[in-house]
Amino acid sequence: MVVGLEHHLAVSGLLFAIGFFGVLLRRNTLVIYMGLELMLNASTLALVAFSRFNGTMDGNVFVFFIITVAAAEVAVGLAIIVALFRKRQTVQVDQLNALRN
Amino acid sequence: MQPETLALVILFSPLAAAVVNGALLRRRGATAASLSVLAAGVSLVAGLFLILTADPFAVSANWLTLGSFSLDLGLLYNPLSALMLFVVVLVGFIIHVFSLGYMNDDPDRGRFFAGMSFFMFSMIGVVLADNLILLFIFWELVGLSSYLLISFYFDRPSAVAAGNKAFIVNRVGDFGFLLGIIWAYWAYGTVNIEALSSLIAADGAILKTGIGLLVFCGAVGKSGQIPLHVWLPDAMEGPTPVSALIHAATMVAAGIYLLCRIGAIMTGDALNVIIWIGAATAIYAGFCALPQKDIKKILAYSTISQLGYMVAAFGLGSKLALLGGDAHATHGAVNGGVAAAMFHLTTHAFFKALLFLGAGSIIHACHHEQNIFNMGGLARKMPVTFVTFSLGFLALIGFPALAGFWSKDAILALAYENGGAVFWVLAFGALLTAAYMTRLWVVAFFGQPKTGNAEQAKENGLVMTLPLIVLAVGAAIGGARSLYPEAFGPILDAVPHPEQGAGLIITVSILAMAIGALGAFFFYKPGAHQDNLQRSMPGLFRFLAARLWFDSFYDWYVAKVQQRFAQFLSFMEQVFISGLMVRGVAGLTGLVGLGARALHTGNIHGYVFWFFFGLVALWLLSVGL
Repeated sequence: MVVGLEHHLAVSGLLFAIGFFGVLLRRNTLVIYMGLELMLNASTLALVAFSRFNGTMDGNVFVFFIITVAAAEVAVGLAIIVALFRKRQTVQVDQLNALRN
Repeated sequence: MQPETLALVILFSPLAAAVVNGALLRRRGATAASLSVLAAGVSLVAGLFLILTADPFAVSANWLTLGSFSLDLGLLYNPLSALMLFVVVLVGFIIHVFSLGYMNDDPDRGRFFAGMSFFMFSMIGVVLADNLILLFIFWELVGLSSYLLISFYFDRPSAVAAGNKAFIVNRVGDFGFLLGIIWAYWAYGTVNIEALSSLIAADGAILKTGIGLLVFCGAVGKSGQIPLHVWLPDAMEGPTPVSALIHAATMVAAGIYLLCRIGAIMTGDALNVIIWIGAATAIYAGFCALPQKDIKKILAYSTISQLGYMVAAFGLGSKLALLGGDAHATHGAVNGGVAAAMFHLTTHAFFKALLFLGAGSIIHACHHEQNIFNMGGLARKMPVTFVTFSLGFLALIGFPALAGFWSKDAILALAYENGGAVFWVLAFGALLTAAYMTRLWVVAFFGQPKTGNAEQAKENGLVMTLPLIVLAVGAAIGGARSLYPEAFGPILDAVPHPEQGAGLIITVSILAMAIGALGAFFFYKPGAHQDNLQRSMPGLFRFLAARLWFDSFYDWYVAKVQQRFAQFLSFMEQVFISGLMVRGVAGLTGLVGLGARALHTGNIHGYVFWFFFGLVALWLLSVGL
């Protein structure tokens, strides 16, 4: 079968959904972070697919931006998580809650 | 000294005494008393000097300006204010001197004299004010002084209730007065008395009956006319000098003074109402006085009755002037009604203050016994009081040649000229006056003393008898025009003398007086222990004593109608205004706060969910749903 745009987009959507539900449902902060990365990569995939099937370079160029932003975000975010771990000795989000409920 | 400065001295010296007494001298009664008497003396001397030397003047200074509305502080001194000022400062001073003796053994006299001086300040303010709003301010202050002095014995619940009643009933009248002032300002653009008079003299068609009647409401409240007369008899709870000064000679006369001051604003219809209210009050109060046992209450009803005469006189004379009789009103001069009312006010101030001070002298001597049926035989025991009181009594009933005769005759002349039933109503009022006063005189002074208190009564010292003598002289010769300073000329010269029907008027007045006096003289036993009317005609006595059920009606009205309405309004306010609007808005904000707080769970998953939710909402919004 010919792999068309719709297949790429389906995979991208599936990845995005998995990443989204990972953010929503997992308790480990690092796993949530992985979910975020997964969502970013899903959007990257969608952009590349569009770029390929439209014959333009716009999507590909935009992917570079996304990767850069993702890298910066990971650096900062992981730094925060490490600092949080040092303070709280845990990375489980339900144990990180300091608000009285 | 400039007349304006003199006027300010007259106005402010009692205030200074009041402030010093009230702030510093409450414990030191003797010093406070002397200070008040001194201030009253200063006002008297300055007042006499002003009257004898100054020409009429008007000064004013702007106090506040709010947009186009400006409130001025000003003095208006013309023959009318000169006469009223004369009455106030002279009678005021005499009563202050009397109070030195009367309140001698009262530990609270510092407070008393503070109140008296404050009253003098407020009353002089009413007399001299040049615009209606300033007059209203002083009017309210006079009401306040009255309240403070009526409730002087504040540990007596009846005194406190009387003070409240006086203030509240006055307030009802003042409400009408204030509405009148506002309407006048709206209709004429000014509340300055002189400006109003000139506006009206220029164009008589701008008058409105409503304004006149509303301003008259103020006089009804302050001067105890029907239906707002109910506070005056109760006001006798205050010390006797207070009753003499405030509730006989000056404050209650303020209503009459107001009418005379601003009389130009009355239309013919308003004057008709005024005439009949005055006449009705005159005879109603006469009937009420007949069954009273308390000497002060008799005199209180007598005051109400005489005020009715003054109000009727004002109405009658002004009506004649309005209808165009040249004999009664020349351009810019005072009309016959104003003159008669002011003349009666002056003579009344003398003899009523005398009667009250005489009653005070009796009460003081009999150790605060006020029931006339517990007195008796006082003519022998207190000769000076007896003679002076008798002079006042004769002046009040209109005995020929004494002051009251002339002023009452002037009023009857006006009534006769007006035609109609008013003349006979007022003449009957004179009969009643003679009747109840003779009753008082016979029962209190003759016969045998009825109780131990009356038995041991003896004449008071000079500080109390001298004022009586001075006032008695005034009551006797106060009808003579020539004794008054020229400053009062424009008023006293306008006092009407009966022209046609002179013989009839004099005959009717003397006959009414004679029938009333002789009837009471023979009916009531001298020094009786029991009221003969009550004994022989108990039904009639009870009917008279009911005083047409005004008080019961007001009690019922306040308890059943007004309280219920007030409770309904309170309910409305609690539910709607405080509840729904104020607390509702607060509650709504609180709910929003609660909702917002619910979002702050600290749960990251929850935050992500809401984030996503917000995203979807914004997307829907952008798509256009």
